Amino acid sequence: MILTCDRIEELLSPYLEGELGDEERRLVDLHLEECPDCRLLFAALNGTRAALRGFPELEISEGLRARLQAIPRKKKRLGAALDFLIRPALQPVFATAAVFMTLVSFYLFGPYKAAIDRSINRKIHHGYSQVEKLYVKAGSFRDRLEASTGSLVVSIKNLPIFGGDKDQIQQ
Amino acid sequence: MLVNAYAKRVFNLAYQFGGSYQEAEDMTQDIFLKLYGALSKYDVRRDFTAWLLTLARNHMIDVYRRTKWEKASRDEFDEHTLSAGESADPETGVDAAANRKIIWDGLNLLPPDIRMAVILRDIQDKSYEEIAEVMSIPIGTLKSRISRGRLQLAKILREKKGHDPDL
Repeated sequence: MILTCDRIEELLSPYLEGELGDEERRLVDLHLEECPDCRLLFAALNGTRAALRGFPELEISEGLRARLQAIPRKKKRLGAALDFLIRPALQPVFATAAVFMTLVSFYLFGPYKAAIDRSINRKIHHGYSQVEKLYVKAGSFRDRLEASTGSLVVSIKNLPIFGGDKDQIQQ
Repeated sequence: MLVNAYAKRVFNLAYQFGGSYQEAEDMTQDIFLKLYGALSKYDVRRDFTAWLLTLARNHMIDVYRRTKWEKASRDEFDEHTLSAGESADPETGVDAAANRKIIWDGLNLLPPDIRMAVILRDIQDKSYEEIAEVMSIPIGTLKSRISRGRLQLAKILREKKGHDPDL
């Protein structure tokens, strides 16, 4: 059986690695003896492999070594800086914040935002009018308190113990 | 400890893959940053070197695809790589160095996955099983890629050197 040059190309790499069976190896040997092009390609393949194997392994620079050795320290520093966030004491705060944010998101993105806005408006106005009423009541109470205080002071001044007129009190 | 044990290997892979010393240093730093972040996900039943090389390989291919790394030219060959590994015979040494220069430049012409497979096999001398694990492909596919990569490089070498029977 004669192998074509294309088939030989496919077989050259396994041939080089010693992976071919006896029969295939014999056929490749035979072809290489007779075909100068494939012989040249095989020589180039050998040269390629030798060149690749000849690349030296380089040492890393001291600068790179220092940069690499600094990575865990940097990561540790960053981790330590954020450690306070995972303290158990802050868990209720995070839980509350989560609930609050959930409610806010329901409000902002839910379908009833306009209705909730109207309801809040009503509540605010209602609250405001209640405050106004209380304020007015407080004002009248203050007036009455002032009047009562005035008459109480006059009554005390007119007590006999302070040299006042007893009849005036009775009147 | 991780730096002493693995930095050289990762750096060399990045340098051989990308061809730029500066890029390889930055790439190694990025890969180690990823490594420290991913250590908690490491499955102790897996081989650590293979796991690290998988991480490195994925990162390099990602960067390559994102930034079109292949457009960047490789460093001048003799700047960092020519000095070591020379043959004692001056004539053979010059020839081998010339071949290495052609192959070094030629690596940039290989598609990323093929280039990675050739580097791991022929430069870093990894076994097919290790490379298949790192690249997450069957051994048959891997062998085919390595074969194609070597042939492509061999044809480049043949073109550059003409019909010299002593390639």
